[in-house]
Order: sequence, then structure tokens, then C-alpha cells
Amino acid sequence: MGNKSKWLGTMIVALSVVVSACGGNSATPGETGAGNTGGAGEQATKTIKVAYGKWNEADRWGEWLKGVKEEFEAANKGVKVELQAIEGSQYATKIPLLMMDERTAPEVLAEDSFMINADSEAGYLEELNVASWDDWKNFNEGIKAAVTANDKVYGVPFSTDVRGLYYNKQLFQQAGLPVPWQPKSWNDILDAARTIKEKQPDIIPFWMNTGTAGQEATTMQTFQMLLYGTQDQMYEDGKWVVKSKGLLDTLNFIHDIYSNDLGPKLSQVLTAQAGQVLETDLMPNQKVAIVLNGNWLTGNWGESGGKPWPEALDVYDFVKMPTQNGEAPGFTSMSGGWTLAVAKKSAEKELGFEFIKMAINEKNNKKFAILDGALTPRTDVAKDSEYTGQKGTLYGVAADFITYTHVRPANAEYPSVTSVAQEIVEKVATGALTPEAAMNEYAKNVERTVGADRIVSKQ
Amino acid sequence: MDALEPQAAKRRKKQAGPTNWRAILFLMPSWVLLLIFFFVPTILTFYFAFTNMSLTGINAAQSQFIGFTNFVNMFDDPNFRNSVVKTVIFLIFSAVIGQQVMGFLIAILMNGRNSGFRSVIGSIVIAGWVTPEIVCAFVWFAFLNDSGTLNTVIEALGLKPVAWLYTFPMVSVIVANIWRGTAFSMMVFQSALGDVPREVEESAMMDGASGFQKLVRITIPMILPSVLTNMILITLQTLGTFTLIYALTGGGPGNSTEILPIYMYRQAFVNYQLGYGTAISLSLLVIGIVASLIYMRVLKVKI
Amino acid sequence: MAQGGNTVKSQAWKPKKLNRFMIYRTLPYIILSLIGLLFLIPLLWLLIASVDGGATLSMKLPETITADNYISTLSSESNQRSFVNGLILAVGQALLVIIVSGLASYPLSRYQLRYKRSFMYLILFSTGLPITAVMVPVYQFFLYFQLQDSLFFTVLFLTASALPYAIWMMKNFMDSVPIELEEAAWVDGASVLTTLRLIIVPLMLPGIFTIGIYAFAGSWGNFLVPFILLQSPDKLPAAVSIYQYFGQNGVVQYGKLAAFSVVYSIPAVVLYIIGQRHMSKGFSFGGASKG
Repeated sequence: MGNKSKWLGTMIVALSVVVSACGGNSATPGETGAGNTGGAGEQATKTIKVAYGKWNEADRWGEWLKGVKEEFEAANKGVKVELQAIEGSQYATKIPLLMMDERTAPEVLAEDSFMINADSEAGYLEELNVASWDDWKNFNEGIKAAVTANDKVYGVPFSTDVRGLYYNKQLFQQAGLPVPWQPKSWNDILDAARTIKEKQPDIIPFWMNTGTAGQEATTMQTFQMLLYGTQDQMYEDGKWVVKSKGLLDTLNFIHDIYSNDLGPKLSQVLTAQAGQVLETDLMPNQKVAIVLNGNWLTGNWGESGGKPWPEALDVYDFVKMPTQNGEAPGFTSMSGGWTLAVAKKSAEKELGFEFIKMAINEKNNKKFAILDGALTPRTDVAKDSEYTGQKGTLYGVAADFITYTHVRPANAEYPSVTSVAQEIVEKVATGALTPEAAMNEYAKNVERTVGADRIVSKQ
Repeated sequence: MDALEPQAAKRRKKQAGPTNWRAILFLMPSWVLLLIFFFVPTILTFYFAFTNMSLTGINAAQSQFIGFTNFVNMFDDPNFRNSVVKTVIFLIFSAVIGQQVMGFLIAILMNGRNSGFRSVIGSIVIAGWVTPEIVCAFVWFAFLNDSGTLNTVIEALGLKPVAWLYTFPMVSVIVANIWRGTAFSMMVFQSALGDVPREVEESAMMDGASGFQKLVRITIPMILPSVLTNMILITLQTLGTFTLIYALTGGGPGNSTEILPIYMYRQAFVNYQLGYGTAISLSLLVIGIVASLIYMRVLKVKI
Repeated sequence: MAQGGNTVKSQAWKPKKLNRFMIYRTLPYIILSLIGLLFLIPLLWLLIASVDGGATLSMKLPETITADNYISTLSSESNQRSFVNGLILAVGQALLVIIVSGLASYPLSRYQLRYKRSFMYLILFSTGLPITAVMVPVYQFFLYFQLQDSLFFTVLFLTASALPYAIWMMKNFMDSVPIELEEAAWVDGASVLTTLRLIIVPLMLPGIFTIGIYAFAGSWGNFLVPFILLQSPDKLPAAVSIYQYFGQNGVVQYGKLAAFSVVYSIPAVVLYIIGQRHMSKGFSFGGASKG
């Protein structure tokens, strides 16, 4: 027994080692970033790497990029395109690692617009010469701001998103509230929530992301949707605004909702899977009347979503979030968005930019937007009826929101500041802090993180 | 005599010539692998802790040596102190007590039982261990959330359901971690018990020892080395628990379950402060070392 | 004078003793069954969700029982490839770990070496550093020597990470194999390697299996290391590709995730069952030394 299994073991080890060594050897120089086998004067094969996030089995981005790859290779003889899919949920961690070294830096990468500032400071991104690109004029101006740092453009947007209010038409009708509904101020929202609470005590009147576990989902869909509807901002003139009337009012709104029992149970909304529960359980089972969230929720309810629900948009309508008291411009929204960028340490940067221009031209972007269920940043596609008319999506509606949208302060300190924002949202909701105390804590903690010279107080 | 070295007295003393050469040869592969792939990165990591290295932003392009600044900030940070406390609690209840006791209990009960039965029970316990950590987290979320399995059973019994993850987050993650990690202790103890010579046990029984006396006076001391090894190993493993808690409670509510690995991850990969995050991980190392030294003292076992 | 309730000697036992005796016999089975049940219940969701067409995080009876989740998971080419990758990494690493740590633990167990204690402490404590902290320096190190995107070097790294524990455990197990047996074999003219192979290894089989399963499960479930050290999507193991079910903005496909997890857990469970036979009480030295 000893003999045989020892030999068997040795064979298996040898086999594994050989197989993996073969696998290892296939990482030829051509696959690493710097290796283009072009020699002087020969008909060289150039390779460009395109890195992107694979978000689920359907891999929509991959599908889109494969189409572009074929078109690009046909139009550019001697150029090979290599697609590199990265697990979406870990994308943000992996991409800086790839960009930091010329051996792995991809020519084209999907870049979250929000990281552009930090990544350009780190020397990871190549400035794009959009001035000489005619097609650039067809991109939404508001979104262009999100991809510009120090007056230089580092990415071309290909998708974006907006946030607003979902409300349940049936529940509203049953409670005697007007349908269609468009609140014009925060008080309108509170009034509607109170009516629901009175007439439909088993229903959650108003849901907004509240937990630190939700991370950016809490900051963007709640904190900033409220704050940017006031007269104050999170970051102004190069400094973090740590105390302001707008901030206090924001925290008071959160306090009002939770102290009057107008929100979800804390045990539901503060967990790491709160979003899951909301999207696959509470909304399809119509247990919640108003939801402050983003346009992509519909993705859950499509055929390939986690909880297919064809009647979703017959039941829930999506309307704009009003400013605090209806002040101009009347509504507000927040947008994130993805772009394609060129890594500074990659080898074939011009080719990379050419690829991007093709990938996000009108034809390909429309194809992508319809495929992925994304909101387009292009003004021409946004008007295209084939795009806006898709069933089960909110494009026709949501495109309007972009006019009112804001983007996050995209500087390197943001990640630390946003954590503090999430903490105080949670503490106000649980009642651990009063709104005033929470604002003080915000000021104290932000100061501790970014330094006293980076903050300003307006109260 | 060291409990860890029953053979110590018989250890060969002569080391001249070929014997020494053999020792070196046998140790060589380990040395090479450990040196290249383990020690060198560890030293680099130590270095990071003294810089303001970041994964992005200006400090990614040029990081600077900032000496002990990270450590000073660390001790100033109330979140850090909270993390340390939570980590120690988690460690004691889920690893030192939970997994060990459970693993030992199962191993000793399984000793000498029907082989098929052992396979079944063993496989069930192992299933928890081999399930990928992220799936464990989902399994436990499905079990403990407001409309999860546990509450469904509780309601069926006519009792009031409890919001486990919200009201008892620490207990929840401790239980989940015990479920997940017991298999390892179980296996270690199974092998250790398997090594206890039957004749020793038989002679103890003939001398009139009761089952329990036999356990305490004979069996446990004989497997003490394994107990110690196991304690140290699962301590170090538990100190690295991340995905399970991150996906189950996110470190919350608030930061009630934000143990050091989660806090470290937040700093290093969410805030991109790699230097600071590395400094925090060094404190994890310190806790691990201190804990191990304590075990060795208490169990009076040395290498 | 035989005391102790479970010493069965005389025929003339009273019914009371019989009951007590039988309880002592069956009690362990009852307790173990209870424990087994407790461990099984949380898993029920996983099993049920894997055949549920519309699975969510709540425990509910499926409206539609379907094998679709399993079919789509198993038939996907990239999934099959990732399983193979995972096996290469895990099996390769486990065997390498056993061999290398086995070799290393021999001198550590049998010889008195000068720096043994410090070496043992050093390797053990350095594992206290969480792998998340070490990964970025490792990545840069790999880049520098062009070792990235290679299954082979990833296996080496995984081996090195498991070695400290493995060496500790191996040494422990080896310590309990009596030297007399070896010495008897030498007297008979066997070389050290032969002794190792024919005497020590069979007696250490429970320990070897424990370490093997530990190493296997460790890399089978390891996400971070392959994620960072491998770039080509077709080299990634199952532990990484499981994240494909997590969707954008956290939209999870539970049914498929559950099916994938069940299939994913099978290799390690199988390994355990095989090892079970060698890990129980059944190896005592009584037989060997009397022979």
C-alpha cells in the first residue's frame, strides 16, 4: 500500500507540475503588457489589452467588447485585441494593481469615473486628446465634468446612472394619494410617507439605504441625494464642508423618517444584504411604498435578473427627487458612471484610444446600452426611440434626470470622508446621535482624517 | 520531560558527517520555498507599514517613508481600539472555546464508533469547512436573517422571531465561525486520539479509572501537544477571518463586529491606504504572537 | 476488583445495569446525530436554493423545482475550466506540501538541531500576518521577476504559505512515532529513506491525511492568491469565478450560486471520506512492536 500510493502520488505531482508549468509558459512575453513583438521595419503584430469587469455570467460588457474587437481587428490589419475579464465585484481592487506596472498595464480599461481623479494623480492614466475628436461633442456636458481632472480628460464615458424615487402606484391609490405623484419638496415626501403609515400600517412607507454596510450605496443614494438638494455641498472650493445648514437639514430628514417610524425596520436596512432583501423580496412583494434608489434596480426584475418580474414597472413608477423646498432647479440626482480609459504605463496608447473611439461611437454605444440596460451618456443615443422605447427599463424616463444630476467629489480623500458620512447616517437613524451631535462628529472625524487645513465650516 | 517530546531522551546526539548532511538536504526544499515566497514578501510588508504607500492617488506614484506615523495614528484611532477589543472577543469565543471544545467533543465521541456513521457525521461537519467562505456567509445570512430559516422554525414553534443579525451580531458571527471551523479541530483531535496507544487506555481501565477520569488524567495529557498546536493554528487562522463576517454583517451594525481584518481591509483596499492598512495588520500579528505565548505558558508545553 | 459501570463481566446483571450500559453505548450516537443535525440545518438553504428556479435569501419552498441551475453551472465551459484550474492548484499544492513538509519534519523531529526552536517559532508566527497584507508586496515581487500569470508559481506560493502549519503538524505527528521502530529497521539494514517510506509514513497516515485535506481545502477555497497572481481569465480557479454570480450593484443569482457551491464542495468532501478510513483509531503501536 505504501509503495503504490507513493508512486501514484509522485506521478500526480509530476503531472500537476508539468501541466501548470505549461500553463505558466503560455504567459509569453506577448501577453504581458510591454511585449509587442514588433521589430524594426517588420510587419509587426501589435497587441492591445482591454481590461474590464465581468459582472455576471451573462458578461454583457464582454459581449459588447467582443463585437468591437472584431470590428477593430478587421479595420486594423496586424493588430490583435486581447480581452481581459476581471471578476466585477473585485474589479476596483485589481485594476490599480494592473495599472501600476508596465508589464501588466492594459491599453484600454474600464474605469469608474469616480476614480479618475485619484488614478490620474497616481500617474496611472493617459490624458486623452479629445479636442481633436469630433465625436466628443455628442457627449452630455454634465457627465464630461466627471471625467475631467485639472482640465484634462482621462476617460470617455460609456454608461451612467441616476437616482430618484420609486413609488408603488397601487399602494398610493389605496391610501388615497395622487397618482401620478411628483413631490416638489421634502415635506411632500414626508407627508406621503405619513399618509401611508396611517392608511397602510403593514407597509414600509419610505426606504433609503442607511447602513455603513451599504457603503457607497448609502452615501450616494441617501446622503448625497439629500445634501445636494439643499443649498450646500459636500466639497466646495477645494475644501470639505463639514458643517452647514444643508447638512443639518439632511440629518434632520433622516431623523424624522426613523423617529416617526416611517422607515424600514433597522434590522432590515442595516445589514450587509439589505439591498438584496429590498430588490428581490420587499419590492416584488410590494411591502414598501416609496424607495429612494437608482435606475438600475430594474435589472433585477428582467429576464436574466435575480428576480424576474415583468410587471415591475406597471407597479412602481420612477420620479425625480425634489430639492429641499423646491428651490431651483427643482430636482436633484446623483450619477456615477463608467468610462474607458488608457493606462499610462501601457505600450500602444494611441491604438488604445482608437479602440475607445470605436467602442463608444454612436452605433456601438447604442448597441451596448440596449444590451446592458445602461443609461447612455451620449446625447444622440439618448434621443433614439429604439433605445428609449425598451420594455422594462427606465431610459425614456431617466434621461431627463441627467439634466439635474451631480457627481461625487472625485478626489483622493473621498473614500475616507464617505465612510464618515455613512457612519453618521447610521447613527442618526438608530438614534445613537441627534442630528446636531452627528454633525459635530462628522466635523471632528473628517478633520481627523484629512487635516484641519482641508476643511471649512459654514455654521 | 517536555510533553511535546516523548522521545526527547532518546534523541540521537551524534551529528557528525552524513547525518548532518541529510538534515540539510531534507530541510532544503522548505527553506528555499519559505525564503523566496514567504519571508521576503513578509519583510517587504513590514517596510510598507512605515510608508504612506497607497494604491492610488499621489502616494501611489511616490510613496514616502513616514516612520512611525501610521502607528501613532493607529493608537489614536478609536475605531482601531474598538477593533482590537472585538477581535479578542471573537477569538476567545469562536476559536479558543468554541471550535476546540466542539471539535474535541465530536472527535472523542466518534472514537471507536461505527465507520459508516462516522463518515456521515464527519462529512456534514466538514461540509461547513470546505464550503467557500463567501457561500458560508450567505448560508448563514439565509439562516439568521429576519425571514430566514431560524426564524421560520421559531415562528412555527409559536415563539417571537428575533432579528439575530441586528440584535446579536457578535453572537451570530461567532456561531457561524464555529460552524465553519470546527472541522479542522475535529480532524486534528481525531488523528491525535488515534495515536493514543490502546494499551495505555486499557491498563487505565483495568486500574479502575472511570470514563471521565481516564479522559482527564490520561487521554488529554497525552494529546496535549496536539491541543497546543491546534490552539495556535486556529488562533492564527481565526485572526484572519474576513469574508465570513464582511458578507454577513459588513462589520456592523455600526462597528460592532468590525474585527481587525475587516478594519484593515477597509483602510487598505477601500480607502486605498495600503501603508496604514499594513501597519494595522502588524498589530494582528502581535496579537497572534501574544496569544500563542500565553497558550504555551498555560499548557506548560514547550517545543 | 472491577469497578465502573461499563465493565461487563458477570452474567447476573440486573435490568438496571443493562439499561445504563445500553445508554452509555448509544448516547454518543445520539449526541453525534444531534450535532450532525445542527450542522446540517444551515446547509438546507443551500441545497434547496440550488434546485429553486427563483431562489432568494429567505428559506422557502421552491415554487419551481429545476435542475437548470446545475445544468447551466456544469455545462459552462469556463466553469469547467475553472474547476480544472482549481484542482491543479489544490492537488499540486497539497502533494507538494506533504512531500516537502514531510521531508522537513524528519530532521526537526528526530535530530537535535541548534536553531530548531527559533526556526519553528519563526515560521509559525509569521503566519499571523493576514494574507491580505502580504499580497501587494508579493504581487510586486512576482512582477519584478515576471512570475505573474503562472499556475506553476502560484502553486509554489500556495505551498510556501501552507508550509509553516504543515511542518508544525507533521513534526507533531512524527514525534509520536516511536524511534524504536526505526532503530529496529536499521538493525535490519534499511536505509533512512526506506524507513521513512515503509515505517513512518504508514503510521503517520492520519496526520498526513489531515495535512493533505487542510492544504487542499486551503487552496481550493483560496480566492485572493489566484485573483492577484493570475491575469488570464482562463487560468482562474473556481474560487475566483464563483464571484461571477454576484452581479453588478450586488444583484446575486442565488440559485446558480447555490448550485455552483454544492458542486464546488464535493471534491473536498470526497477527499475527507476517503481519508476517514485512515484517520480513525485503528493504528496503535501495539501491533507493530509485538510483531
